[in-house]
Amino acid sequence: MFKLPGVRELWAARHAVEAPDTIPWAPLSKPLPECRMALVTTGGVHLQGDPPFEVDDPHGDPSFRRIPADAPADALTITHPYYDHTDAEQDRNLVLPMDILQELRASGEVGGATAEFFSFMGHIEGPHLKTLIQETALDAAREIRRQQADVALLVPA
Amino acid sequence: MSTLGISLLRRISEQVRPPRTYHLRFPFGHALGEPCRRAQQRFIFRDCLSALVSISEPGGIIDSPLRWRRGSFPGE
Repeated sequence: MFKLPGVRELWAARHAVEAPDTIPWAPLSKPLPECRMALVTTGGVHLQGDPPFEVDDPHGDPSFRRIPADAPADALTITHPYYDHTDAEQDRNLVLPMDILQELRASGEVGGATAEFFSFMGHIEGPHLKTLIQETALDAAREIRRQQADVALLVPA
Repeated sequence: MSTLGISLLRRISEQVRPPRTYHLRFPFGHALGEPCRRAQQRFIFRDCLSALVSISEPGGIIDSPLRWRRGSFPGE
């Protein structure tokens, strides 16, 4: 049903969101060929051996999983009941563009990548929003900073 | 650390107000386009890199000119 643009727009019109008082801002500190990039997805991607995201809780799961930047495609899977990930299972780049980033690193368009990428399962609401905003998203941001990222690309599902 | 978020719903991004947004009118699960269409995916990724550089004000949104399953890309 969400493949229809009108349905998506209707859902968005009725969906309440948490809006910040101010917009955080960090200027780009150096040219992109010198920047180390982190990837963050809300596509529910995780290593096959890691615990899957919680799917029985109607409010979602605010936790995140780490994905090594060199993880092979067949080491990953997707747990996310709120979008059709048939195509993303065929090609992970649709929600976590690891291979594209690797290509652009090789061509010198991006300086590098963090050792790990980070994955959440979208559809986080109710009491888990507070956990996400005050705990898990901050934990992920601290780890991305510890891995010395200059830029981060956030990819939705 | 500078950030850019891809958005598939402009209305949500206008409310959440991330620092920088690249908006595409693509279906959920397809932020980088169609599966195994690498030239299209590279184009979108490069557009995101350009947006990282060109958005100079907090909350800036760039609308992608791409349309779902339309257009061709260099290398195809």
